[in-house]
Amino acid sequence: MSKSAMVERDLLVFSIWAVLGFGGLALLLEGFSRDSYAVSVAGIAAIVAGFAAHFVVNAIFDTGFKQGEAALGIGVFGIVVAVFIASWATGGLSASDYWSGLTLFAVLALGLPIYLSTRYGLRGAFSHFHVRHADSGNSDR
Amino acid sequence: MTGIAHTIWLPIFALFYVMVMLHWVRVAANEGRGEDGFFSAGHSLSPWISALVMAGASLTGWFALGGTRLVSEIGFSLPAVLAAGIMLALPGVVFFKRFWIIAERLRVSSQADTFRVYYGSVFLVVVSTVVAVLFAIGFSSLQVRMLSQLAETMTGGAISQLAASVMFGFVLFAGAGIGGMRSIGYFGVVQTVLAFAATAALAVFALFYIGGFEALNGKLLAIAAAPESAHLFNISKVIDFTAGLGRGGEYAASHTGVANLSLAFALMGFQASPLAFKLVLSTRSPNGIAAGQTWVTAGFLGALVVFAIGLTGAAGLADKNLAIAALFERLQEQSPWFAAWIFMGIAAGVQLLAGLSLFVAAEGLVRHIYKPYFHSRLSKRGTVNLTRIAIAVLAALAMVMENIAPVTLSALGSLALPIAFQLWTPLLGVSWLGWITRQAATTGVGFGIAGVILTEPLGYQVLSFFGLELPWGRWPWTIHSALWGMAANLAVVLIISAITDRRIQRTEAREIRHLFSGLLAVRPKARALRSTAWSIAIGWFFLAVGPGLIFGNYAFVAQNGEETVWLLGMPSLWAWSLAAWISGLGLVWFLAYKMEMASPVTVEIPPYEPPLTLRKDQSALERERLRILVITGAIGFVLAALTAFSFGR
Repeated sequence: MSKSAMVERDLLVFSIWAVLGFGGLALLLEGFSRDSYAVSVAGIAAIVAGFAAHFVVNAIFDTGFKQGEAALGIGVFGIVVAVFIASWATGGLSASDYWSGLTLFAVLALGLPIYLSTRYGLRGAFSHFHVRHADSGNSDR
Repeated sequence: MTGIAHTIWLPIFALFYVMVMLHWVRVAANEGRGEDGFFSAGHSLSPWISALVMAGASLTGWFALGGTRLVSEIGFSLPAVLAAGIMLALPGVVFFKRFWIIAERLRVSSQADTFRVYYGSVFLVVVSTVVAVLFAIGFSSLQVRMLSQLAETMTGGAISQLAASVMFGFVLFAGAGIGGMRSIGYFGVVQTVLAFAATAALAVFALFYIGGFEALNGKLLAIAAAPESAHLFNISKVIDFTAGLGRGGEYAASHTGVANLSLAFALMGFQASPLAFKLVLSTRSPNGIAAGQTWVTAGFLGALVVFAIGLTGAAGLADKNLAIAALFERLQEQSPWFAAWIFMGIAAGVQLLAGLSLFVAAEGLVRHIYKPYFHSRLSKRGTVNLTRIAIAVLAALAMVMENIAPVTLSALGSLALPIAFQLWTPLLGVSWLGWITRQAATTGVGFGIAGVILTEPLGYQVLSFFGLELPWGRWPWTIHSALWGMAANLAVVLIISAITDRRIQRTEAREIRHLFSGLLAVRPKARALRSTAWSIAIGWFFLAVGPGLIFGNYAFVAQNGEETVWLLGMPSLWAWSLAAWISGLGLVWFLAYKMEMASPVTVEIPPYEPPLTLRKDQSALERERLRILVITGAIGFVLAALTAFSFGR
C-alpha cells in the first residue's frame, strides 16, 4: 500500500473511532449512570458499528489491523474486563450494569471469530490458531 | 457523582484530542521532509480530504455556538442563516474548479499568488492577506473566546477563561505551525467528522431535554401566539428605510427580507476568502470539487444547519434554560462524558478554522508581502521559519485580544465575511469575466471595503475617534454591510471596466483567457442552459433568502377559527428554510454538474513556461521600500494622533 493510501486509511480509522468509539463509550457510560440497559446497548451498537466500519475500511484498502491497533484493542479490552470484575467483586454493579457488561463482552468475543471468518474464511481463521508442527520448522525430522 | 468525577472527563477527552493532533502533526512533518510541502502540502491532498475539510471549515464552531444563539434570541426572523449550507457551497461551485486549473497552469498555490500573477496588483495581494488576518484575529478568535468561556463554565471555574484561551493558543500553534498545510489537511478530517457529530449530538440532547419534536413545536406555537413575541416567527418587511442600528433603527425590526439577502451574501464571503482557496489549491485534483460542494457542503452540512442548528436554537427559544451555554451546563451536570465529547467536537471545528486562518494569514504576511517586496533573497527554510514565528505572534495577539479587547475583536470579526465577499469581483475577473480590468478590480475592491467599513461599527467608531460622526449606524436600510460594499464595488467595476482598455493584459492573464476560451471552453450543451441557470438562480435567491421570504411567513400556516395551525408541525419560516435547502441543493447540483462549473476535468493542464528573464539584484530597492514603509507608517501615526487629539472625543 502506498504511503498516501496508508495515511488516508489511518485518517478514516481515526475518524471512525473519534465518533463511534468515543460516542459509544459516552452512551455506555450514560447507560451505566442511568441504569438503563437500552442506552448501554445503544453504546455497544455504536462500538460494534465502529468495528464494522473499521473492517470495511480495511477491506477497501486491502489490509488488516495494524499491530498497534491490535495491541490497543486488546489492551483496552483487558482494562475494561479488569474494571468490570473489580466492580462486580466489590458489589458496585446493578443488574442493568451487570447485563450491559456481559453483553459488551459477549458481542466482542463473538465478533472476533466472525471477523476472522469473514477475512480469512472459516478454515483459514481456524488455521490462524492451529499451528501444525510440520509448518513450524522445528518438528522432528 | 463527585465534583472531580464530573470535571475529569473534559481534561481526559482534551488529552486524547491533543495526542491525536500531535500524532498527525508528526505524520505531516515526517512526510514533508523539512520545508517541502509546508505551504501547500505538496499539492497532494486527496480530493475527498479537501472536500470534507472544506465543509468542516465552512461549518466552523460559529454555527453551533453563534448560530444556535442567534435562533434562540431572534427566532426564525433570519432564515437565511438556516440556508447557510447552500450559501456556503455556491462560491466554491463558481470559482474552485477554474482557480485550481489556473493554479496548475501558472504553478501558484494561493489566492494572493493568483492575484499577483494575473493582475500584477500589490493592493489585491495585501487585501487577500488582510482578509486572512481578519479571519485569524477577529472571526476565529471570537469563537475561541466563546469556547474559553464555555470551558470555564463547564469546569466550574477550575480552568479560567484566560487559561483556556492560552491552552487553545498553544494547541493552535502546534497544529498549524509545526505541521503546516499538510497537518491542517490531515487532522482537519478528524476535526470535521468530530464537529459534525458533536453538532448533531447537541441537537439530539436539546430535543431530548425539551421532550421531543412535538413538545418543542407546542412551546414555539405558544410563543408565536403571544403578540409581544410573534415577530420572532415572521419577516417584518421587505426593507425598512431606517438610518441603521444605533441611529434609530430597532434591532427587532431589522430582520427584513433584504437583511436576509444581504446576510446571505456575507455568508458567501467564506469560500471567496483566501482560506478556502488555500485548501483547494493544496489538492492534487479538481475532480472532487463538484461532489464535495454538492453533497458534502450543500447536502450534508446544509442538512446539519437546517435541522441540527435549527433544532438546538429552537430549543433555546422555547426554553431559555436550553440556550447554548445553559444546555452545556445541564449536559455537564447530567452527562459529563457527553458534555466533554460534544465540547471537544465543537472545539475541533473552531480549531480547524482558527488553525487554517492563522496559517494563511502568516503565509500571506511572510510569503506574499514580506518576501517578494522586502526580502526576496530569503531562503525557503527562512521563509518557513519566519512563517512559524508569524503564526506564533498572531496566535499570541489573538489570545491577548480575546482577553483584554473583546469589543475590538467583535468589531474586527464582523468585517471578515463582508470584506471577503468583496473579493468576488476580482475572482470573477480571473475566472469568468475577462473584461474586468486590473484597474477596475482593484478600485472596485477598495470601494467595496470602504462601503463595508462605513456601515459596520469599526468604521463609525474609528471616524468618531477622529471627530467625524456618520449620519447612519450599522446596516442602514436594514442592509448588511456585505451588500453595501458590493453595491459600491460593482458600480465602480462596471464604470472603470467600461473606460479602461481591456486589451492591456499581462502575459499570464492572456494565457488564462486563452486556456478558458480554448482547451477548457464551456461545451455548447452547458452554454445552451445559461439562461435557464440564471433564471433558476435568481428565482431561488429571491424566494429562499431574499424578499420572497415574506411568502414564507404564511406558506405553511392555516387558521382554524381563532387558532393558528402549523401545517407541517413546525414554524412556517423553518419549513420554508427546509424547502430552501432542498431546492438549493438542486441548484448547486445543476450549476456544478449540468452547467459544468465544478464538474471533473478530463484534460491535462500543461504548465505555463514564462519567458526567461534576467533576475536583477533587488536588495537596494527593497531597502528603500522598507524605509518608505517605516516613514509612511510613522507619519501616518503622528497625523492620526494629531487629528484625534484635535478633533476626537
